[in-house]
Amino acid sequence: MDYDAIVIGGGHAGIEAALALSRMGWRTLMITQSLDAIGRLSCNPAVGGLSKGNLVREVDALGGEMAHLIDKSMIQFRILNRRRGPAVQAPRAQADKFTYHRLAKQTLEGQKGLALFQDTVNDILLEPDGRTICGVTTERGHQISARVVVMTTGTFMEGRIFIGEYMCSSGRLGEPAAVGLGTALREKGFMVGRLKTGTPARVRKSSLDFDAMVEQPGDEIMMPFSFDYDLVDRPAMNCHITWTNEETHRIIRANIHRSPLYGGKIVGKGPRYCPSIEDKVVRFPDRDKHQIFVEPEGVGTEEMYLNGISSSLPEDVQVAYIHSIRGLEKAEIMRPAYAVEYDYLDPTQLYPSLETKRVDGLFIAGQTNGTSGYEEAACQGLMAGINAAQKLKGEPMLVLSRTEAYTGVLIDDLVTKGTKEPYRMFTSRAEYRLNLRHDTADQRLTPKGYAVGLQRAEAMDKLRVKMERIGAVKELLASRRIEGKTCAELIRQPEITIDDLLPQVPELLAFAETERYQAELDVKYEGYIRRQDRQVDRFVRMEQIPISVDFNYDAVDGISTEAREKLKLVRPLSVGQAGRISGVRNSDLAILMVVMKRGGMRSKGCAACDGSDGSDESGEYDGQE
Amino acid sequence: MNITSYDHKDLIYALATPWGSSALAIIRISGEGCITLLATAFSRPEALLSARTNRIVHGVLSDPASGKAVDEVVLAVYRAGHGYTGEESVEISCHGSIPGIEALLELLKNLGMRPAEPGEFTFRAFMHGRMDLTQAEAVQEIVSSRSRTAQSLALHRLGGALFTELQRIKSLVLDVLSVVEVQLDYAEDEIGGDVTFPLETVVSAKSQMDALLATYEVGRLYGQGARIVLAGSTNAGKSTLFNLLLKEERSIVSEVHGTTRDFIEAQTVIGGIPIRIYDTAGLRDSMDSIEAEGMRRTEQLLEQSDLILLLLDGTEPHDNADMLGSRIGKLVHDPRCIIVWNKTDLSVGKAPHGSFPLSAKRGKGFEELQAEILARLRKGSARPMDDQVVIENSRQRDALVRASEALAACMRLAQAAVPLDIVAIELNEALEAMGSLTGEVTSADVLEHIFSGFCVGK
Ligand SMILES: Cc1cc2nc3c(=O)[nH]c(=O)nc-3n(C[C@H](O)[C@H](O)[C@H](O)COP(=O)(O)OP(=O)(O)OC[C@H]3O[C@@H](n4cnc5c(N)ncnc54)[C@H](O)[C@@H]3O)c2cc1C
Ligand SMILES: Nc1nc2c(ncn2[C@@H]2O[C@H](COP(=O)(O)OP(=O)(O)O)[C@@H](O)[C@H]2O)c(=O)[nH]1
Repeated sequence: MDYDAIVIGGGHAGIEAALALSRMGWRTLMITQSLDAIGRLSCNPAVGGLSKGNLVREVDALGGEMAHLIDKSMIQFRILNRRRGPAVQAPRAQADKFTYHRLAKQTLEGQKGLALFQDTVNDILLEPDGRTICGVTTERGHQISARVVVMTTGTFMEGRIFIGEYMCSSGRLGEPAAVGLGTALREKGFMVGRLKTGTPARVRKSSLDFDAMVEQPGDEIMMPFSFDYDLVDRPAMNCHITWTNEETHRIIRANIHRSPLYGGKIVGKGPRYCPSIEDKVVRFPDRDKHQIFVEPEGVGTEEMYLNGISSSLPEDVQVAYIHSIRGLEKAEIMRPAYAVEYDYLDPTQLYPSLETKRVDGLFIAGQTNGTSGYEEAACQGLMAGINAAQKLKGEPMLVLSRTEAYTGVLIDDLVTKGTKEPYRMFTSRAEYRLNLRHDTADQRLTPKGYAVGLQRAEAMDKLRVKMERIGAVKELLASRRIEGKTCAELIRQPEITIDDLLPQVPELLAFAETERYQAELDVKYEGYIRRQDRQVDRFVRMEQIPISVDFNYDAVDGISTEAREKLKLVRPLSVGQAGRISGVRNSDLAILMVVMKRGGMRSKGCAACDGSDGSDESGEYDGQE
Repeated sequence: MNITSYDHKDLIYALATPWGSSALAIIRISGEGCITLLATAFSRPEALLSARTNRIVHGVLSDPASGKAVDEVVLAVYRAGHGYTGEESVEISCHGSIPGIEALLELLKNLGMRPAEPGEFTFRAFMHGRMDLTQAEAVQEIVSSRSRTAQSLALHRLGGALFTELQRIKSLVLDVLSVVEVQLDYAEDEIGGDVTFPLETVVSAKSQMDALLATYEVGRLYGQGARIVLAGSTNAGKSTLFNLLLKEERSIVSEVHGTTRDFIEAQTVIGGIPIRIYDTAGLRDSMDSIEAEGMRRTEQLLEQSDLILLLLDGTEPHDNADMLGSRIGKLVHDPRCIIVWNKTDLSVGKAPHGSFPLSAKRGKGFEELQAEILARLRKGSARPMDDQVVIENSRQRDALVRASEALAACMRLAQAAVPLDIVAIELNEALEAMGSLTGEVTSADVLEHIFSGFCVGK
């Protein structure tokens, strides 16, 4: 074997996968099309946001890299949705794209046991059994062997770019597509589909009239995404807000027929939640304006990102409608908006570990699984990397539950329900989000990262200290009384915050603001957290009725045909997971529950319990080689 | 009865009509291969074997060993995918004499079938996706329903009316939740400010939920019936009234022999409500002569009763005074008590305030008394229309209470300007509670509980 592990692609998923594997001690090779594009922020120059910020902190808690990269490259920081509640607020930062990329590459280069190689993978190599990975082949003719492969091809697999009538094979503007791999995987029996996404134009800063826009500064204090340190001290830059208008919409409507989306050239489905400006104009004809955020792409550059008006209209139309917008009348367009269509693999072909069911040792992560977004890619890359390493070690897979991480929600959704449009993380996808606050990611996940050998001992020490200190704050709140009431009782009143108590309880000042705040939330929302915990208990009960991967659904009477097909495809690992598959009805679930609780059916009526027959899957699913 | 002992490959049989003599009885058999097996004992095997689904075949069933005819029967044939259980099954209509039924069941057993466990037919129907949970429960109630009104309510639910009603409320809650969630999914500046919380929708969902909940009492009344206890001193006219109450409909009187004293229990129907009446012999005698055991049993009866008819003898003012001073007399203050002033045909005095004048002997005042009994039992709610959705069992009620409480909490939190993510927890709780009713969210425990409540044959 040339390497223990190969990671295909140096995007946000690939970075995490490669670092996790090599940090866990495996000789790893990252093959990517261009070393100059490692960690490139393809679209908006920002990391985090609602629920995405939580993902970044989860990656960090487990021992991943994304938080470090953004902490050292941010040029603006904000906590979003402060007013809407403790569970849903999240950090978001504008990034200096160039610094972000440089740091990513630097980190990979500095990692022991990790090799970097510029080439394009065009096929995977299988053992003679046809179902175990043993390496990859590349465009320049290399055959490289490894025991596990993590594939993170982003928007590049058979990528194709559209700008009006213009169309070319490309993964990002100016970067060639990765050709051949998608076809090779199709031939090996994988279900491969097409998705599309788009990005707006970049305009020159000195050509914009900022006086005509609304300034949007960040928060005064920058806070780190990473739990490893307490402070970020970097210079901040402002963003600006402007709006489209009737004239903008008129121009777009008049040219809509020239969009490849409406002309039928693009077959892949785009995200409903992040529509192009032409989609917005067509779908919301009543709106007389749409908001645009003008965001800097970095410190040493004039390029500005027009967040909110991604498009695939021809360039002359882009120029016309951009110039109709206040503050952008004289904007000089440096890069046009474009749409990209690419191959993705139906993620129901994966186990929750992100290993494919079809090929042993092949893991897939990132945009290739039908997601969109850097954070979504990073958390999958990390989990795929950890699990590939677990596989090499012969240890059980690390699967996070929906009740313990947004990462768990994301992966469970993907492998259980699949996706027909680019999947983005949303707060509302998580049922138990009160337990998934961004500030508790370390409590939830650092011990797990440590247990698999990725997270460092210092992180555990830091967590222990943090918990002790928060415990001390809570104790203080419970014992100290003000006018007959304990501080804890006072804080439970909606209008009172912990900072209101500082004059009377100056000892609180000995604790960091984050410590005080977390103690405050824990105390204030204790009742709701307990209520949520009861819901979690109900959920967990269903998750705890296991189904073996080789369970023979054909031998169970009474399951509807549709459900049977879905169950055979997804191969859920628990009755709970089975219940989340669309097309599986209550009665199907009832049957499964009864059969599973019975511990397999009695021999007379049951071929289902001795899975050795009929089923093409075999062996226990525990990552054992 | 534990569900896990069902083996769904077995051929099962059970009497689907009540045990007892009647003109006709129906025996149901179910399971793959039951038709072929039955054909070996049938006079026209080809006709049976070739019968399409939902067809009727007439013939004679006889013991294959002795060749002796057992009964002349009509077979209703259901092929897999049809009929009650959704699997291959036959309904045997036979003559309804008890020895005849026993002989037929014996024959089926000899053929190699086994008697069904309680609820097993319904369990199989559920397993074959023939019904959702609320429908399964409705079947249970039809089987055990004691009066016609209850039966029509249960039939209605079998059509999924409760399900439809719940879906309607659920979609309201979903509406609210989506307004909340959109604000949690997007930052303030992304959706241009706050959207107002649709409090009126929550209020409306909650009031619909509560209306549904209020039907529980009605449903319970018609489904499970009520208990009425007659109390009063000896000769007040309890037995006379007892018989009068029973005269209205065909009813069954049974003497219950206690260890010490007897009381008489009878079943009847008043205004569509199944009623059990107890004539408490134990209270006929004066207090001191009552043995402890008899008193205990009487107390128990009183405690469980929905209504107590306390009879006073209009011709015996002294007796009454004694009685009212006694322990039983204290019942006057019990909200469940109706005081009946009996023997108005003889008495000269006026019926005391708040009591019902009656002549049990002549039947005078009886109509009014009956009306009062009904009104008290229904607690003001009108007789349910046949198409009104009614919830009848406590599992459904508990789930709805949980949902209703969650909505109430949601309203309270929203008005107190508590953050939306907390409000959303309550909305989700309400949804989950409703889901547990329609079977969308369910647990093995609930299922087992439901199935074990079924009686044999259904
Ligand atoms: C035009 C465009 C618009 C976007 N719009 C949005 C948006 O609106 N919202 C949003 O959240 N996200 C958007 N994104 C998505 C975001 O950029 C991705 O989700 C994220 O970068 C995915 O990370 P990844 O690691 O999966 O893949 P990428 O960041 O795409 O990285 C993949 C890497 O793998 C390399 N590679 C691919 N195939 C091979 C191969 N066969 N051999 C070797 N190397 C290979 C590529 O060169 C690339 O470096 C957009 C991306 C693009 C290109
Ligand atoms: N005149 C008259 N006699 C009654 C009336 N109700 C009961 N009786 C008589 O009172 C006697 C005692 O009645 P009974 O029902 O046995 O009383 P119990 O001991 O309370 O059960 C019997 O002789 C009845 O015929 C009534 O309304 N009018």
